Amino acid sequence: MLGLARFVIIGFIALTVVYVSVSLYSRAVRRGKLEAEWDEEGMTGDKDAWVRDGLEAYDHSLRRKLILLVYVIPVVIVGTIIYVVNYG
Amino acid sequence: MAYIKWTFWIVVWLLVGAFFHYTLPQHDIVRVVNTYEERQDLTDWTRIFWSVPDDQAESLINRDVQFIQAVQPNGKAVVYRNEDTGWRWPPYFKFDTANLYTEANDAISTRAAPEWYSVTHYGWRNEYWSIFPNAVAIKPVEGPDATIIPWVNIVILTVFFAIVWAIWVRWRRFRRARIDPVLEDIGDSFEAAGDSFDNTRGWFGRWLDSWKSQR
Repeated sequence: MLGLARFVIIGFIALTVVYVSVSLYSRAVRRGKLEAEWDEEGMTGDKDAWVRDGLEAYDHSLRRKLILLVYVIPVVIVGTIIYVVNYG
Repeated sequence: MAYIKWTFWIVVWLLVGAFFHYTLPQHDIVRVVNTYEERQDLTDWTRIFWSVPDDQAESLINRDVQFIQAVQPNGKAVVYRNEDTGWRWPPYFKFDTANLYTEANDAISTRAAPEWYSVTHYGWRNEYWSIFPNAVAIKPVEGPDATIIPWVNIVILTVFFAIVWAIWVRWRRFRRARIDPVLEDIGDSFEAAGDSFDNTRGWFGRWLDSWKSQR
């Protein structure tokens, strides 16, 4: 039981590091794209507010939620391995 | 410098190769001839080649281990250990050691009427260190020359090399954009400062050059 607990805790910490890193990176990429779009289209007004709106829309997007797959995929892989090795 | 660099990368790739050779599953076509259990002492450095099947096993200095004896089509003997990997490395999550032992016993056949099985295993056999590959699964096959396509290894190695390639490409791009110009600057100013010395370009310049991308 201790083995399982250790595996789950270490795995959760590792995946959280990945999740946070990917989230920050993805948001930075989106910000860069929004700023580039603003400059390219030659828009006028409050650039910061426009970028903030764009990022808010991103926060509710499906793409943002897909990063949760960082947790889902390893769990599915481990589950598959356990099934194949012990019951397959 | 070039020798050190080459030696370094050869050693790194040998270690990577050894790691995968030890950890990834391999298949043997064998005829199972017997199984046995033997007390193993686990106090020296070869401990790393044995599993830790449960929490108690961590503090044990010896315990019983199951073995599966088999013969390959070419007549060579192979011996597998049969141990749980539990929740530890390598990530086979094997908990069905007792079941596998039963299946192996059920698979025993004689030389006169051979039945061939594919044994999935990982690990190395070394007679001098007395280490054994760990059997993970046993499946019947039609004959001694059955083909098994190692799909798991193909997928894992493809993903691994894709990641290595992605990192390598990015590193090269970064080096060309950020490091090469700086090194050229340093080299230029060093040469300008030391124009009166004939051999300034000697080892220092060559050493700087060794950091630049070779093109």
